[in-house]
Amino acid sequence: MITRLLSALGAVGIARVLMMPDVDGIAHRVRRAVDLRPPPGQAWPEVVFLDMSIECVPDDTVHAVEGMVAAGAGAIVVLGGDGTNRLVASVCGDTPILPLSTGTNNVFPRVREATIAGLAAGLVAAGRVPSAETLFRNKVLQVEVNGESRGPALVDAAIASDRWIGSRAVWRPESLRQLFVTFAEADAIGLSSIAGLLRPVSRQATHGLRVDLEPPETAAATLLAPIAPGLIAPVGVSRVEEVFPGKAQTVQISQGVIALDGEREIEFVPSDRVVIRLDNDGPLTIDIDWVMARAAREGLLTGQSSPNFGEK
Amino acid sequence: MELSKDELLKAYWIMKAIREFEERVHVEFATGDIPGFVHLYAGEEAIAAGVCTHLRGKDKIASTHRGHGHCIAKGCDIEGMMAEIYGKKNGLCAGKGGSMHIADLEKGMMGANGIVGGGPPLICGAGLAAKQLKNGGVAVAFVGDGGSNQGTTFESLNLASVWNLPCVFVVENNGYAEATASKYSVACDDVSDRASGFNMPGVTIDGHDFFAVEEAAREAVRRAREGGGPTLIECKVNRYYGHFEGDAQTYRGPNEVEKIRESRDCIDNFVKRVTAAGVIEPAELEKTDREVAALIDRSVEKAKEASKPDAADLLTDVYVSY
Repeated sequence: MITRLLSALGAVGIARVLMMPDVDGIAHRVRRAVDLRPPPGQAWPEVVFLDMSIECVPDDTVHAVEGMVAAGAGAIVVLGGDGTNRLVASVCGDTPILPLSTGTNNVFPRVREATIAGLAAGLVAAGRVPSAETLFRNKVLQVEVNGESRGPALVDAAIASDRWIGSRAVWRPESLRQLFVTFAEADAIGLSSIAGLLRPVSRQATHGLRVDLEPPETAAATLLAPIAPGLIAPVGVSRVEEVFPGKAQTVQISQGVIALDGEREIEFVPSDRVVIRLDNDGPLTIDIDWVMARAAREGLLTGQSSPNFGEK
Repeated sequence: MELSKDELLKAYWIMKAIREFEERVHVEFATGDIPGFVHLYAGEEAIAAGVCTHLRGKDKIASTHRGHGHCIAKGCDIEGMMAEIYGKKNGLCAGKGGSMHIADLEKGMMGANGIVGGGPPLICGAGLAAKQLKNGGVAVAFVGDGGSNQGTTFESLNLASVWNLPCVFVVENNGYAEATASKYSVACDDVSDRASGFNMPGVTIDGHDFFAVEEAAREAVRRAREGGGPTLIECKVNRYYGHFEGDAQTYRGPNEVEKIRESRDCIDNFVKRVTAAGVIEPAELEKTDREVAALIDRSVEKAKEASKPDAADLLTDVYVSY
């Protein structure tokens, strides 16, 4: 995947790529591929690994992105799932990101072929396409506990009655009490599918959704939802309503956990004040379709505008 | 079902007992009074406690060379353990096994094991017995990252899957097989990645987090008891001491252990969370601390005073009479 990205980035004139080091062998394989020289006809960018230590903790991603932003990166390609993208979004500021789905929960990032993604990211980073037409500002859920920011969540924030974060995954729907989503696609998998199957909300819509949940035995309605790969569970629903940016949402239970983008992250007790807000000021993502459409119209990859070869 | 207050207090007792036991053995070993080698479990307490919290008397565990924590968590007598480590006649194995072979079959502890990867085949046998006897028993193997690379472990994962045995394989990945980093020696990113190759669920969790371990273990043990077959749980953790006492740990980074003790200690983490949640009062934990400290002191005193085996004991506990 990375070598495809490098081929594409080189093809559109990107001279330098910053990469995060790792201990899992990815950086090693990239170094080896670079040392072996790219295939004939391809010019790869110079690959520079960030000077940072790896602790194998989430903060590694945060430090890497901080380094990339500080170095003036024009775009960041993120290989990971919702959790990784959430970490990136917390520190990338206005640097555009291109999330490619490779993680555990993958509602936010898309499944796209890496070569095309590389072309799109390269064209954006090189400033060859206008930002206004090719970048998309995402919604986020800001989660505060006692006034301190603990978010954002890019897709969903779920409130559950479990006392402990435990092994983090959410697979017991009977413990869910509330679900807030930034968007909800009917064909999604994960907690946002609950909202997506009730009242789909697009990424482009200005609002999100709040769904109040309770055990199916006592709920007004029940829904079969694919809340995890291979897990279709009955979920009890008592209320669905739209939520709008800036309006503070409170949680209904006094003690429990908050799952951000499908992973339990925060334990709260009765003395904690939890507030959740939908925000329109999330990360900028590169829209591959918009970029490549613009590239075709402008002939960015042909050296001339395409009217001679386009539709009559 | 979440753990009750009593269960959480018991888990704390177990973790504290392991920690105090290991820290004391670390001190006493330096005097030269303890024969053989010891391999300390300090830092990994949440794993033994989190897994064994869901095991009953009829369930079996097989351990590694780093077995003191598993012994304590499975309910072995601490005074008997200390006596065994000192090689004394009243030890759990009559002073003949030492640290690396502590066992108590009555408690379902099939033994600490000096053979790397020696535990998994044993629990396949224990799991098969439970299945044949239909007694609802579960067998758990603890194995290290080094042990996870052994052929015996691979064979056991396969057999447990093929025979649908009520087994749980707990890989305690502390990052080092002796002095070899698991980042080098384990070919996949996570040991749990191997589970799908054996058609069983696999999960990687933070071994410093008692609640993560117990939740994963709860599901795996429930699944095994209900006939759902084996599970592989990888717990990523750090050991505080060397592979063995006397290991200079030149292979670890500067201040590596200190940083982990300060920021990720499993007992500190547990205390912070149970007191913040209002489940257990600090005074109750302090009472446990005092009880455990007194027990460890007593066990060392008694072990030092106890007798060593006699020459006649050489001819007992063997298969052949001479």
